[in-house]
Amino acid sequence: MNVGDLQLGEMLTTLAGRGLGLDVGAARARVRTDLPSLAATLQSVYRYFPVEEGEGFFDVTATVRHARGLRRFVRPQIEFVVDGEVPFEPFPAATDLPLLEWGLNWCLAERCNTYLLLHAGVVERAGAAVILPALPGSGKSTLTAALTVSGFRLLSDEFGVVRLDDGLCLPMLRPVALKNASIEVIARLRPDANLGPTFPGTRKGDVAHLGPDAESVAQRHEPAMARLIVFPRYEAGAATALEPVPRGRAFAKLAVNSFNYELLGPAGFEAVGRLIARCDCYRLSYGDLAEAMATIKGLLNAP
Amino acid sequence: MRSALERHVTLLLSILVSPERAVVLTLDEWDLAVRAARGARLLGVIRARLDHARLLGSIPAEVRAQLDGAWSAAAYRRQMVLREMWAVANVLEPLGIPLVALKGAAYIAQGLRCADGRLPEDLDLMVPRNRLDEAERALVDAGWASEKTDPYDQRYYRAWSHELPPMRFAGHPIELDVHHAILPPLGRVRPDARALFESAVPIPGSRFRALSPADQVLHACAHLFQDSDCAGRLRDLVDIDALLREHSAAPGFWTALLARARLHRLGRSLWYALRYGRAWLNTFAPEGVAAEVARLRPPALSRAAMDGLVPRALLPQSPDEEPTFGTRLARFALFFRSMWLRMPPWLLAYHSIAKLVRSARRQPRAEVA
Repeated sequence: MNVGDLQLGEMLTTLAGRGLGLDVGAARARVRTDLPSLAATLQSVYRYFPVEEGEGFFDVTATVRHARGLRRFVRPQIEFVVDGEVPFEPFPAATDLPLLEWGLNWCLAERCNTYLLLHAGVVERAGAAVILPALPGSGKSTLTAALTVSGFRLLSDEFGVVRLDDGLCLPMLRPVALKNASIEVIARLRPDANLGPTFPGTRKGDVAHLGPDAESVAQRHEPAMARLIVFPRYEAGAATALEPVPRGRAFAKLAVNSFNYELLGPAGFEAVGRLIARCDCYRLSYGDLAEAMATIKGLLNAP
Repeated sequence: MRSALERHVTLLLSILVSPERAVVLTLDEWDLAVRAARGARLLGVIRARLDHARLLGSIPAEVRAQLDGAWSAAAYRRQMVLREMWAVANVLEPLGIPLVALKGAAYIAQGLRCADGRLPEDLDLMVPRNRLDEAERALVDAGWASEKTDPYDQRYYRAWSHELPPMRFAGHPIELDVHHAILPPLGRVRPDARALFESAVPIPGSRFRALSPADQVLHACAHLFQDSDCAGRLRDLVDIDALLREHSAAPGFWTALLARARLHRLGRSLWYALRYGRAWLNTFAPEGVAAEVARLRPPALSRAAMDGLVPRALLPQSPDEEPTFGTRLARFALFFRSMWLRMPPWLLAYHSIAKLVRSARRQPRAEVA
């Protein structure tokens, strides 16, 4: 049975008890909450994930709950709790899914140190993975989401998870967090896309989550070999321009943008080096999403 | 002392003490143990102990991944501590300032087994008090900067603390704490700083010296039972236990330990460490010194109070439950005790009022992105 098939009541019981287990591929998270609104949005964006009771071993156990004290009644806030600790300032109560997703990302980035963790979106088509490293304002999430609703498999929007022994990319399959105008762009591109509710006015502006599709979920334990690294750069009205990035430069950009490159020491150096050696690296400036997607498909010789 | 320990504590202690028991744990038990160990900052230590016992191959893969990840994080911090020591020595050694590495930095430089998997927080360094200003000027000239910008904090450290305000070199992940003593200069117990320097021992291959083995153990005991509120500090007790096991092999160690405890007036701290270490970690003191250790014993009232408070505060909190009222009370009582030991009553009153006034203008925790 999948998360989307549960009755809301069952969902709430699970979330308020041992927790809902989410196997996202490279990691397993267990989520607990007693907030009905979060139960409903979780059910929608994680609908294709199999239901797992919170038994066994998890990499992260996270709870989202009302913040304590008088703030419960005046402008209520919610907080993210992991193993009894509250690592961040509380969020406004209305932004429950953004807080949970943000908190889970933070935990996964801290803990999954047996992999090289790039800050990147990763999609795959016909066995070839494309890594889209995130630089501020790059439009990484928009491009990842657009490719995902256009026939690519989603591996991750946030983490390029690279296995150290064989260099394969593993999925860390979670909803794609879309911001501001991107939400409308994806909704127009694919009206039946599994978009969750829009959370207006978060710290990153308006945020909505694109839930992973059924096929991506079914293949969340299938690794893929990276063939292409594209550093996207979105600029309104800009013409599509593709230029190769020299490997040394690509190495530096990828390493700097990794969550744990330094921590892994020589293993991180080797992993980035092997990845770069195997991939073609480009910078893609774009103003038109359809052209950008066509360019990436062209680089893969995909229809 | 409360005898019934919570399940997460029992699991964590049993893995620390008898790693061979870890191979039969269920995944549910591992889940609880790993969460408790992470909270106690002992996950990397557990990994090191399983490794020493050659048991890593018998650990389930998903658990192993978390243990290995914690170990990598600890190895990285360890490397960064060594780099910081190198950088600091480059500045201070040419001035002829005696450098003594304290705690984690010393364990790392000495290659002690207890450094394996241990997550060092900062670099603790001790220089003689009459060279402190010179050392600070040199470090500031070389690029280190104080992290505490609040004038009250600056004044507090300089006037009443045994260390300078923490410093950091821009971009370095390791904070630098420059000490001139191991306990506050106005505190109830003032270990003999000159004796600490005089008996410090060279670290092979390092420009730093370490405290003598006995002083090193006593510093760890003082840090936990004289200068901290014990809250969530099981790792400090684990350090003491490991140091004792490591240093016990040297002939005359226990005699020296007891003599130095009397010299520095740290007998009580040592006694508490041995008491709770024996209860939870099988910390071992040889038969021959039992009578001498017993003489360090604090009065019955202190013992009873500490037995009521320390287990609640020091052992890790349940990762699934809120701290009980009793636990919060115990933590508060031990926090007050630590402040009481740290400074005379007039200073405690002054400091409390100053902090209270400042907390009214509390700055929020760091904003998340």
